[in-house]
Formats: sequence, C-alpha cells, structure tokens
Amino acid sequence: MTTGIDLQASFVQILEQFGLPHGVAKLVWLPLPMVLIVAAVTVLALVSTWLERKVSAAAQQRIGPEFMGPQGMLVPAADVLKLLTKEDIVPAKTDPWLFTIAPILVFVPVFLSFLIVPFGQNLVITDLGIGIFLWVALSSIAPIGLLMAGYASNNKYSLLGGLRAAAQSISYEIPLALSVLAIVMMSNSLSTIDIVDQQSGYGILGWNMWRQPVGFIIFWIAALAECERMPFDLPEAEEELVAGYQTEYAAVKFMLFYAGSYANLVLSALLFAVLYMGGWESPIPVSWLAGLLNVSETTPWFQVVSASLGIVITLFKAYLLLFLAVLLRWTVPRVRIDQLLDLGWKFLLPIALVNLLLTAGLKLVFPGAFGG
Amino acid sequence: MMKFLKQVIDYTKEAGQAAKYIGQGLSVTFDHMSRRPVTVQYPYEKLIPSERFRGRIHFEFDKCISCEVCVRVCPINLPVVDWEFDRETKKKKLNHYSIDFGVCIFCGNCVEYCPTNCLSMTEEYELSTYDRHELNYDNVALGRLPYKVTQDPMVTPIRELGYLPKGVVSGHDLPAGSRGAGKLPEEILAQMESDAPKEEAKAAE
Repeated sequence: MTTGIDLQASFVQILEQFGLPHGVAKLVWLPLPMVLIVAAVTVLALVSTWLERKVSAAAQQRIGPEFMGPQGMLVPAADVLKLLTKEDIVPAKTDPWLFTIAPILVFVPVFLSFLIVPFGQNLVITDLGIGIFLWVALSSIAPIGLLMAGYASNNKYSLLGGLRAAAQSISYEIPLALSVLAIVMMSNSLSTIDIVDQQSGYGILGWNMWRQPVGFIIFWIAALAECERMPFDLPEAEEELVAGYQTEYAAVKFMLFYAGSYANLVLSALLFAVLYMGGWESPIPVSWLAGLLNVSETTPWFQVVSASLGIVITLFKAYLLLFLAVLLRWTVPRVRIDQLLDLGWKFLLPIALVNLLLTAGLKLVFPGAFGG
Repeated sequence: MMKFLKQVIDYTKEAGQAAKYIGQGLSVTFDHMSRRPVTVQYPYEKLIPSERFRGRIHFEFDKCISCEVCVRVCPINLPVVDWEFDRETKKKKLNHYSIDFGVCIFCGNCVEYCPTNCLSMTEEYELSTYDRHELNYDNVALGRLPYKVTQDPMVTPIRELGYLPKGVVSGHDLPAGSRGAGKLPEEILAQMESDAPKEEAKAAE
C-alpha cells in the first residue's frame, strides 16, 4: 500500500526550510485545507443545484436553464447573488433568537461533517479516530434546528413541517447508523480512510457494495430521507405545507437552508461513495495500471496523477449518486407520513438489524472475505 | 410458525415487486432524458397559429357602415362606435372606432355578425404593455396587420400538433415538404367533384 502524496508533510517541510519552527509551520498549514474544503463544498453544492435543474429538465423533455452563462451554469451564482441582496425579513411574533439560530444550526453541522470526507489517502482534513461516527452524531443536530425553525416561525405550516422533519430525521438515523455499523464491523475501524483502504486492491470487485448489498440499499434510502429528497420530502411538501419549516424564511437565512440541504445531499453521496463504492479507488486498481505503464508507484508524476484521479473518481461517484437522486425525484411519488414512518421503523430497521447480525456471523465464519 | 413464515415470504415478495416497479419507473424517466425537448423556445421559436385562431381584432375603417351590430352582439357592449349623421349624403359618417383589448374576451361575436365583414380576427396574441390603457386600440391601431410568424426572420416557426404528419408529436426538425395528416379542404372538394359524375352514372343505372 502506497501512502500517496502527503501535502501537509511537504508543506510543513518547505516552511521549515525557511527557518520556521515546526509548530508555527503546522499552524500556517491548518486553515488552508479547511478554507479549501469549505469553498469546494460550496461549489459542489452549487453545481448540484445546477445539475438538479438540468437533469429535471431533461427528464421532463425540457431544456432547463440555457442563457445564463454556458448551458445556464451561472444560474446558481445568480441565485446566491439574489438571495444575498434580498431583504432579511423576520415575520411578526416570531421568536427572533430561535428563528435566527435555526438555519445556522442546520447549516453548520453539514459543513463540519466534511472534516472526515476523504478524497485520497492523505487528502482529508483530519483522519479522526471516530471518523464516520462524527457524521452520524453531527447529522442528529440538524433535526433540532429544523424543529426550532418550525417552532419559531409562528406559522402552522412551519410547525407541522418542522415536526415532520424531526420525526423523519430521527427515524431514519437508526437504519442509517446500523448499516454504517455493519461496514465499520467489516473494516474494523471507524476511520473513513481505513474503510476505503479495506476496499482497495481488487478494483470494482473489492467494493463494499458486493459484500453489503442490503446495507447498500438501506443506506441510500435512509440518506435520501435524511436529506429530505423527493420520495421523502414531506417536511416541505409544497402541496400541503407550502414549504414546511422554510415557509417564513427569506434571503440569507433561506439560503442557509437551501445550501445546507444541497451540501447535505453532496455529503451523503460522497460518504455513500466512500462507504460502499470504494471512495477514491478507481474501478481498475491503480497499482495494476502502474504495472501496465511500467512506472513505479512512487514516481512523483504518477503520484500526482493518481491523486487527481482519486479526487475525480470520488466526485464522479458522488455525482452519479446525485444524478440517481434527481432521477428518483421524478420517478417516485411522495410517501405519506404514516407510510414514511412504517417504512423506517417496520421495514428498514429490522432489515438493518438482520443485516448487522448477518455481517457479524459472516465475519466469524469467513474472516478473510469479511475482514476478520 | 408456518403462518409467520408465509407472512415473511409475502412481505419479501411485496418488497421485491416494489423494487421492480421503481426500477421500471426509473427506466422510463431515464429514457425520457435522451428524447428531444418538446418545448417551444418562445421568443426564438413560435407556434404557427391555426386558421381559426382568435387573436387581436382587425378593423377596416372604410368598410364600416356604423350599424353598431358589433356593439349589440358583444357580451359587454365593448366596441365604441363614434358616428354622426351626414345630412347631405343621408348616411352615417364614422368618426372613430375603438376596442379595448384589456376588456375584450376574444369571443369573436362581432366578427361573426359584422354585415360588411369589416371586422376580422388576426393571429396576433402578443399584446403585453406597460399600461393597460395602451390596450385600448383606436381605428388606426385596429387597422394594422400583425407580423406573420412564418415571415419573421428572427423566428423559427413551429407547426402545431394538429398540423403534423401522422404519428409525429413534435414540430421540431420536420423534414422539408412534410405535410399534416389528412387532406386539405380543397383536396376534399376536388375529390368530391371528380367522384360526382361516377355517382351520377351509378344513380342512372
């Protein structure tokens, strides 16, 4: 296993050559990946809104955004600009504090969760020991924000939407966590890097999707429900609840909700790719490619190429899943709230539990194939 | 125990069926993605209005005899006919004529009943203005003819659904010279005329 390029080590080394002490050099390095990831995530979320419009249009035999920039690519930028310059309205008799804090409470955990999303062996902000558990924990903060938004808005639609969102997030958190747990059990680690490493070596055949087909489906269903995507978007069901907990929001606060929901979708897609589809591993092993080209894997230019390939592949997988989510949006009708809770508690939860037990059993019986 | 097992099996079957139907639905939406957009890109493409299109009303000042039939048949007595009696010629002389298209419902009664055919329907439908009073057309404005969609160099004319060849549902990218399903009225007439002698011969027998 090659370690790939380590940007942090080389950056610190360069600064130390200029005579900076090790601690200071590290301190200079610290904000760089964070700023980069926040910027990248914003761009990825904006791209996904554009993709949503374009794919939706194609599925409905329309063209979609066309004239704002090439293929309407400037539409997200225009959206942001518009929302930034609009008046920040706080309706009468709202709870001003809760009303303001709610969107932040929804928005921040999503961006914080990108801490653990790896784009390469060392291309991650921090390889936390609790890794994937951080995401599970952070994503349970969002329902508090949603509930706050619903409660503070002084609007019955908002309150209903907020309650629905909270109920939905809480019920789908459990099957989600259980399917993640099965993966964790197989890779003997919570770290996202270790989870990907455990899937590497055999190309597409080594990915967890083959060993965890049930978890694969459960995770995707639960992730869609967590992101309030179409078959499960009843917290903001526009036919019944206007816009759910977002009804009274405008301008920047609305933008936080909007960006948060798309960033959450990107995050779920990325983590899905990491957990089940081998993260940055290409379908054909890179080491095999290196052998074919007859170059050593430690060659600098090959390392740069394979690192960029890893980033591209991770994003490609994530956007493939995003495309699937948009396509599902125009395929599957919205479920009712009772159907939603039935599906979560009576179907996904028992199956996820059985899946977990089965994985544990298989791990004991076939330690080689299931990471003993 | 057997009953429980059966329930489990039924449940699994139902889940499998649901998955199958979702898969079928996905294949339908995916298939739609590769089809050509059916939307008409409005300012650049326009549908050719049909012959019976009821657009803005055209008025020919010189034909009008100021009989006010148009006012009487109008559901809201909308046309304003300003005339005076000319004692020399012993005829009504029309001074002004106007219709407010902000109020008109384009029912076509005035056109239908006009004894001298001085009123007619055009295919103009782009009547938006910044001020509703601009929609009150006087006899000069009513006398203008609209620009034809088929002759506008800026516009790609698109045929409506009823004028497309049999089995075609989109007016985009039609091959040159393709014609609508069925026959034109004059063709039906020609057919009838050529058939008429034969039928007479049959009747004679």
